Amino acid sequence: MQRLESPSEPAHSRSHLLHEVLHRVAHLLPVQGPIGVFVHHNTLHAFEDRPFDQAVAQAAEIFAAEPYMKEEDYRDQLRRGRILEFDIEDVISEELDSVLLPQFGITARSLQRAVLISGIRPFQPATIGYLLHERGLLRRLRPDLETARRARILEAHGGREAEAARKLFSACLDRVRPGQAPPAAPSPRGGAVDEIIHPYLIRFAEVFLDQGLAYWPMPHRELGFYQAIRKLLTQPFFIEPDGLGGLRRAFQRQAENNADATRVVLDMLDSLAVPQPQWEPFLQSELLALPGWAGLFHRLEHEPHLLEHNRLPCSLIDFLAVRLTLRSAASASAAPAAPEPVSEDLHQLCAAARLFDVAQLLGLSAAALKSVSEAQFTALAVEVERLNGLECRRLLHQAYERRHERLVLEPLACHRRLHPPRDRRERPTAQVFFCIDEREESIRRHLEEYDPAIETFAAAGFFGVAVDYAGIDDPHGVALCPVVVKPQHAVREVPVSSDEQLTETRRLRRAIWSRFAQLGLASSRTIVSGWISTALLGILSLFPLIARVIAPRQFARLRERLNKSFLPEPRTELTLMRPDKEGQQVAEGLLLGFSPDEKADRVESVLGPAGLRRGFARLVVILGHGSTSLNNPHESAHDCGACGGRRGGPNARLFAAMANLPHVRERLRSRGIDIPHDTWFLGGYHDTCNDDIDLFDLDQMPQTHIHDLEQVRLSLDKARAGNAHERSRRFEAADPRHNADLALLHVEERSEHLAEPRPEYGHCTNAACIVGRRAATRGLFLDRRSFLVSYDAAQDPDDRDLLRLLGAVVPVCAGISLEYYFSYVDNERYGCGTKLPHNVTGLVGVMNGPSSDLRTGLPWQMVEIHEPVRILFVVETTPERLLATFRKNAALQNMLANRWIRIAAMDPGSGRIQVCRNGLFEPLRYVPEQIGTAATSADWYRGLIGHLPAATIQAGL
Amino acid sequence: METLLTAIVASPGAVFLLLGLLWLAGWTPSERAVARLTVITYASGALGTLALFALMRRHGVHHVAMLVGPWFSVGEYRFASSLFVDRLSLPYMLLTVTLVGLIGAFSRRYLHRDAGYFRFFALLQLFGFGSLLIFTAGSFDLLIVGWELVGITSVLLVGFFHQRPEPVRGALYVFAMYRGTDIGLLTAAVALHHFAHSATYGDLFRGAWPNQTIGFAGPATLMALLFVLSAAGKSAQIPFSGWLPRAMEGPTPSSAVFYGAIAVHAGTYLLLRAHPLLDASPIASALVVLIGALTAIHGTMVGRACADAKTYLSYASLTQLGIIFVEIGLGLQWLAVIHVVGHAATRTLQFLRAPSMLHDFHQIHSAAGGHLAATGAHYETLFPAALRDWLYRLAIDRGHHDTVLERFVLAPLGRLSQALHSLERIWAPPHDTPAPPEWSRQSLQVTWKEKART
Repeated sequence: MQRLESPSEPAHSRSHLLHEVLHRVAHLLPVQGPIGVFVHHNTLHAFEDRPFDQAVAQAAEIFAAEPYMKEEDYRDQLRRGRILEFDIEDVISEELDSVLLPQFGITARSLQRAVLISGIRPFQPATIGYLLHERGLLRRLRPDLETARRARILEAHGGREAEAARKLFSACLDRVRPGQAPPAAPSPRGGAVDEIIHPYLIRFAEVFLDQGLAYWPMPHRELGFYQAIRKLLTQPFFIEPDGLGGLRRAFQRQAENNADATRVVLDMLDSLAVPQPQWEPFLQSELLALPGWAGLFHRLEHEPHLLEHNRLPCSLIDFLAVRLTLRSAASASAAPAAPEPVSEDLHQLCAAARLFDVAQLLGLSAAALKSVSEAQFTALAVEVERLNGLECRRLLHQAYERRHERLVLEPLACHRRLHPPRDRRERPTAQVFFCIDEREESIRRHLEEYDPAIETFAAAGFFGVAVDYAGIDDPHGVALCPVVVKPQHAVREVPVSSDEQLTETRRLRRAIWSRFAQLGLASSRTIVSGWISTALLGILSLFPLIARVIAPRQFARLRERLNKSFLPEPRTELTLMRPDKEGQQVAEGLLLGFSPDEKADRVESVLGPAGLRRGFARLVVILGHGSTSLNNPHESAHDCGACGGRRGGPNARLFAAMANLPHVRERLRSRGIDIPHDTWFLGGYHDTCNDDIDLFDLDQMPQTHIHDLEQVRLSLDKARAGNAHERSRRFEAADPRHNADLALLHVEERSEHLAEPRPEYGHCTNAACIVGRRAATRGLFLDRRSFLVSYDAAQDPDDRDLLRLLGAVVPVCAGISLEYYFSYVDNERYGCGTKLPHNVTGLVGVMNGPSSDLRTGLPWQMVEIHEPVRILFVVETTPERLLATFRKNAALQNMLANRWIRIAAMDPGSGRIQVCRNGLFEPLRYVPEQIGTAATSADWYRGLIGHLPAATIQAGL
Repeated sequence: METLLTAIVASPGAVFLLLGLLWLAGWTPSERAVARLTVITYASGALGTLALFALMRRHGVHHVAMLVGPWFSVGEYRFASSLFVDRLSLPYMLLTVTLVGLIGAFSRRYLHRDAGYFRFFALLQLFGFGSLLIFTAGSFDLLIVGWELVGITSVLLVGFFHQRPEPVRGALYVFAMYRGTDIGLLTAAVALHHFAHSATYGDLFRGAWPNQTIGFAGPATLMALLFVLSAAGKSAQIPFSGWLPRAMEGPTPSSAVFYGAIAVHAGTYLLLRAHPLLDASPIASALVVLIGALTAIHGTMVGRACADAKTYLSYASLTQLGIIFVEIGLGLQWLAVIHVVGHAATRTLQFLRAPSMLHDFHQIHSAAGGHLAATGAHYETLFPAALRDWLYRLAIDRGHHDTVLERFVLAPLGRLSQALHSLERIWAPPHDTPAPPEWSRQSLQVTWKEKART
């Protein structure tokens, strides 16, 4: 192999350049890690530095993906009244206007209006001939034409429709110039070479990254991907796959030269004759051929700890080296097929057809069109072609979001005016903290409905306690905090001293069970034990098979009961005390436990911003959340985002334990948070899939609070049943006539059902985030569509709490909202398609069937009822304070300035709402006099399956 | 008993016809109705089969044979459609109705809201009908009908997600393998008619299963080999095993019922049914043992290195299917039947749990204290390091299975057909090439430009 190396560019600078290029290209790869811990993030994070509309358009070209919903989807929303013509007017009025055909009173806006509302029919070079020739496109005018316009066009032709149409088309075709055709849509990647090498490359990546699924782990993995593959593929005596002749020779040569991955890639670039300026596009197209796998290699290169079981030396350059070596072997035998060029004439016919369509919408007859000047005609044609592309969808999307904004803000303003926040005199029965998650909105509402004397709050679900935690059943600690935070403290769950023996028994029995389970999984693939497990014991599988399909819930209960009798449950405590600043260190430089001041800081960081400084109830419950489901490789995506895609029970338990400590309360008192002696904090855990609620450490609660606990427990039980009922309205499989208790059974079954692809709908309905006092939204039915963050501007004069809250909440909520947006608008490219053929691979992700790219993003079943809108933040503060706060954080300011999020401010005093547009706040134009009202939530949603407007729920007020 | 038997076999077919006609008439029944109909069909099928078994026990009969009626005749060859149930058919029948019914109940949730929901259930019904026909046919002629129904529904379900290229390619591969090996069964039936003047079990074999002997004179080895060809194709034995992993493109429940449970075991039924021929032919029996053993070794070696749930399950299936073939070749018929039932049940459950594998592994991991006992160390004690690497290389290339087949079978076949094609051109020169159709793009656009201008 010849290396084209000139003296002026020594090898190290070439490799330096290569790594630079690779760094830029890798930015485009998905950042999803192993699927066991799923963290929502903006799918187009690489484009966040530019405006949203520009970003989606550029990404659409690079990834051959859709930037918005399809035009017919918007048109469908228009028909269903989800977008009103009013919204379109509103959006157009913000666009630049120009005069196009003054003699007919046609301006750019009137053209936009006509096109947005009625649309240009889709004309493609592939079908235009069919439309003209066989569908009689020119035999009649558009059927959806307004009567007046139709009459105006027909007038000149004495009412002969066919003639009018034909003449008009002819007038368009005469003046359409070549070159006005749009560039062809980017075709998805593919090709003969990829078809040959992908099955192998995928298989190699799979076995290399495997976390324990393969019975026989890949040898030499510790050398890294490239070296391990080279070692395997240089083995003697094997038959080379067809189309990959010379592969062994290529690897052998590399081995003889003792080349490392970088050197191999450089050599390959040379031998494939890719000049340096072409490196970036070439490598981009190589890596984007299998973005999922390449992305995982890249991610693990920088964060190897994401692999929980087998840490592997991953690197993107290794992946590339193997890919290019395969490629060079394959391209020797496969020639790429050139796409058939589409004739320019067909493009011209399409352009003419579009003008023909638009002319009708504008009421222009053939004669009228002929009369316009050349310059005017060109201007019109250019504008039509511009609108035909993304522009039309961009504007329609804005209108779609504008309507959403009104659907959120108008009822909110009205509710706020009709039911202003009021001070409650009597002491609440209890105060309950939930996560800000929009899925907790409904359970809070139900709780308030059952016991109006309960107050609810929301804080990010790690409750300020960023911690590396291991429970007694966990093998090692995991970070329970947002992914951007690195925990400084470790906390371990340990048995109380009297129960140590029990713990040991539990550990042993679990180890025995795992040995059996592992044997069960592994044995069926070997000859001898496989024979025993199928021929001799196989028939026994019929029992669990039938039970799990026919009666999944009962089977789960039975298993749970067996577990209970088999595994002793020791009482435990948390190692959260650390006497001093120094204290013991545990592994990896973490501090074991929290010092008193640190504890006080954590408790203050939640209670302070929520505005809960006095007026504590006797019982304060803190509920973390998570989700349990089967048939769901994306299970972790339903867990708490603020806990880094994990379950937040331990955080709630820790928080409560800290807040109960006298020395912590003492310190808090000096900081203005006055927790009375008779207040007790309880930690708990809410499973958002089966709606179970667990409360922790009840044995440590003082006897005096037993009555309070009973009351709260009762309300919580009612609320979770109500919540299950409200969630069930979205599931077609749930009977709408069921009452709350049956609904609870239904959601329990969903979480245990082997076949259920939608155990819960997750964040599917997220659309808004309201940061403010609960008093401002209490009694408002928000349909599980709003994140709710407790914040009291009155107690935060210098906006420090707000800055901290928004700094944590905006990236998390925007990440969720944008991931859902992109997975919805292009489920195949940005999402991972339908779940049904998904195949768990290497325990790191899912493929389609036996061999495909690693699918990233969300499956269709998770997003199918989503409304793709950018999240709308409503913050209860003044616009000035809000803008100032955003300016203090560069990341937030960037998201706002580039319009990846939408914001509005609600004045804490007057409740007046102002909406931010292009950096300026303008008041909400219209506040309705009335909004929908129902006695209870169930009365509002009963029997309805779609998204519902906000309403006042009287029971919750 | 006869009526009961007919009802069990015919009802899935009738339901398929009903669903198909309704659909053709433009009416798609609701998801709930389709699922309910399926579950009822198979639940009553399962009860019916149990009742049939009980009746046979009570009356002490070893088999039930019934003539449904004459089917068709060609010249002096008569084809009767007859059903036949004995101790071999019953376990297979029971397995079919139970598992297809369970998969129906499962798929109601799994495919809920999917665009192909109705198509899936219609195909499932047809598949159930086809496999019941295989297991209850009274002659090899009728068995072929069931065999083909199972084949075509298999292919259509592999290609269920036909909007992506990979499933379609996989389906085509399966189709080719099935069609190629079906030749064996067809030829065998013809040969039986030729030598025994009948393909009905009653005429061919004497005695009660599993102690039957051949009741006619003819080349047993030839016919046995033809049966082995078809059985090996359907049960994905070497050298036809390449289709099984490719068949995993369909939705999970179809993978479970076809490739974990019923369709892949149809080959074993065929061999068990034709076992008198095997018994009479040491060569054929030895071949069955050989391909079974090869398949088992191939399956376990490749399967060990598979890192995705469905592929590893398909190779695990191969391994056990291979062993079942060995058992049949050795004449251990009852063991083979028990093995089939146990294997089908185990594998179906495993396939249905495949999407939950992450969840299961997570629990096992944590219960084990974070580190699973190392697996695959077996080979380390068995082979030296260099050989291990070589074996691993062999395993991840799936034993070079595809390459060998491609290079030594398909490519020569392709060359042969090319040669025949060119011979044909010499013998029969092609007619003049027809003119391009009038509506072709170029001509059209010219006419339209002209028309529009005038």
